[in-house]
Amino acid sequence: MEEPAQKNDNPDEKSLEAQRKSQYSRLFRRFILLTIVCSLVPLLLVGWGIYMNYTRFANSRMINSFQTQVAHHRSIIELFLEERSSKLQLIANTHSLDHLVKVSNLNYIFEMINQEYQSITDLGIIDERGNHLAYIGPYDLMDKNYSQALWFKEVMAKGIYISDMFMGFRKEPHFIIAVTSPGKKKWILRATIDTEAFRSLVENVRIGKTGEVYLVNQQGIFQTSPRFHGKIMTKAPFPVEPIHEGIKVRILKGITDDRNQNLPRQVVSQTWLKEPRWMLVVKQDFSEAFTDVNHANYATLIFLHLSALTILIVSILITRYMITIIKKRDIETDELNNQLMQAGKLAAIGELSAGVAHEINNPLAIVLTERQILLDMMDQKTYHDLDFKKQILDSMSQINVQIQRCKRITQNLLRFARRTKPIIETVNLNAFIEEVTELMEREARTSGIKFFLDLDENLPPLLSDPSQLQQVFLNMITNSIDAHEGKPYGSIQICTRSDEQNGGIQVELTDTGSGIAPENLSKIFDPFFTIKPVGKGTGLGLSICYSIIKRLGGNITVKSEVSIGTKFTLFFPYKPPPDLLENIPSNDEDIEAYFHINSKRRD
Amino acid sequence: MKRAKILLVDDEVVFTNNVSRLLKTRGYRVTVVNSGDSAIKILEEENFDVVVLDLKMPGMDGITTLKELKKLGLFTETLILTGHGAIDTALEAIKLGAYDYLTKPCEIDGLVDKIEGAWEKKDEDEKEDIQKKISKAIESPRSVYSESRRKREKV
Repeated sequence: MEEPAQKNDNPDEKSLEAQRKSQYSRLFRRFILLTIVCSLVPLLLVGWGIYMNYTRFANSRMINSFQTQVAHHRSIIELFLEERSSKLQLIANTHSLDHLVKVSNLNYIFEMINQEYQSITDLGIIDERGNHLAYIGPYDLMDKNYSQALWFKEVMAKGIYISDMFMGFRKEPHFIIAVTSPGKKKWILRATIDTEAFRSLVENVRIGKTGEVYLVNQQGIFQTSPRFHGKIMTKAPFPVEPIHEGIKVRILKGITDDRNQNLPRQVVSQTWLKEPRWMLVVKQDFSEAFTDVNHANYATLIFLHLSALTILIVSILITRYMITIIKKRDIETDELNNQLMQAGKLAAIGELSAGVAHEINNPLAIVLTERQILLDMMDQKTYHDLDFKKQILDSMSQINVQIQRCKRITQNLLRFARRTKPIIETVNLNAFIEEVTELMEREARTSGIKFFLDLDENLPPLLSDPSQLQQVFLNMITNSIDAHEGKPYGSIQICTRSDEQNGGIQVELTDTGSGIAPENLSKIFDPFFTIKPVGKGTGLGLSICYSIIKRLGGNITVKSEVSIGTKFTLFFPYKPPPDLLENIPSNDEDIEAYFHINSKRRD
Repeated sequence: MKRAKILLVDDEVVFTNNVSRLLKTRGYRVTVVNSGDSAIKILEEENFDVVVLDLKMPGMDGITTLKELKKLGLFTETLILTGHGAIDTALEAIKLGAYDYLTKPCEIDGLVDKIEGAWEKKDEDEKEDIQKKISKAIESPRSVYSESRRKREKV
């Protein structure tokens, strides 16, 4: 009956273990997920916030810097044109036509203008019909008539005019500034601006590796050559915006133009000049303009990744640590539960045994008296049949033997159930063990067993119940001796050590007996569990020991190997549990001395 | 030889009969009662040397019986015989003034030994008491007289 039950035990334990394992791994995953979510979400939010704020800040700074640059360039260009326009205006206002048409005079003025630096290429006086009256310059333009030219019409209407770039009679890009004279009879002072000087003003501006600055007129014709894409006097590849005040900064998406060239994303800022209506454009590749921002963003990204990695590693480590603690706790809980179960079992059995013992003792007493009555009667009579008398006497003595056996059992049962208050005294455990072994030595010798005592000389005395301790050691040693059955000789070693860490004494009882099978190891403290032959043991010895040791606040553990031996480790605290301390008889000098010694030890 | 007069108190009728028979065979004068109440009743009327008292009985239990018995102030020793094995109850009984205790089942010889011991003690106590009274009477005869008068009045 028992075997299948045992076989069922193991798979149960295994499945329980597997269940625990999967529980732990589930717990592990859940913890990791939770810690990661709890720490990564805020991290990402913070990262995203930093990124957004920084990008906005950097963008606005970049745009500001672009605006400043454009404003700066515009003022340079406008200053250049204004200076030349006002010079011409001044000449037209302060000189008479008669004076100016004289070539020597005009030449003088031309040279004066160009004295500091090459500023204009030529200078001409034109009458209101569009004919040259005088001309100083490298070209032969005296016979040209401008009455149909756009600039001529414009200047006649407005009084001052700055033209767009045009090819004109010279077949090369140039532009002119023309002003009309005050007074009724109008004439025009016209100068061709030194294109080289003007273009260098714009084209030589370098902004980083990809930056370019150029001018476009209202029709979208380049007025200067851009650094990269396009040439002066050609059409710009993008539409021109309507005239607006102030400076606009835009970010153009990367496109592929009609010549299949990839134009990257660019930052473009533009503004319209007042006169002439040209648009100043400053461009730079987005990537270059925003290098610093991008760097900062990369750094943030790396930082975020590193933080996430750190969090991951830390959460794995913490979770592992926590799981280890939980596992440990679970094991401790299991042990406690086992102990509780054992204690519960013992208590239940205790209740039962007290009742059973009492009920059996009374009939036993009657049987014993009946036997005595029979014996008394036999004493009074004389029997001739001696065999019959002998038989009767044998039976009587056998009845007595069996009654005594029953009595022993019931006494054991009662002792097991005994709720007697222990009497606490100081006990010198070494001397105590020596006494007990002396008592057992005769029995041990007949079984060929020797005692070896390894007693700690500095063992402090302990407070305990000597009669219960005696029962424990007698039981344990009897068991150890019985464990040698079938072996011709053996040994029992008893070793005492003080265990300061737990505040008590540790006793190791090692025998060379036949050992306990692993499947029985968990049951040896159960009441009525015995592997001794029928009639030899009640199966109560070890469970009595167990309950006594527990009651005295101690502990007992066992390790065993089949056919090699068994080692019981007993622990007794220096002081019994508080509820037992009440049982110290008053005016016990020994105990007062004990407390005195122990308080000194603690000091 | 004079044998002690014994009162046997136990609810197990077969047991009391058997023990009574065994003790009688050994020359004792034995009276049997099967409850605490009847024990007290009979003790009020009759003197016994030794009372053998069971602890666990229906009605008045052994401890109560013992207390009542002590109240009577008799020269009687009590021997506790218990099948219960509850040693602490037996010890309590000794504290209350019982002479000793025995656990069931017990050999008749063991019981006889204890009875003899109890009887001897009872005799000694009695003798001691008489001696005390005599010495008291020598010191102040009046008090002895008044005490005996008080006792007589009580009766």
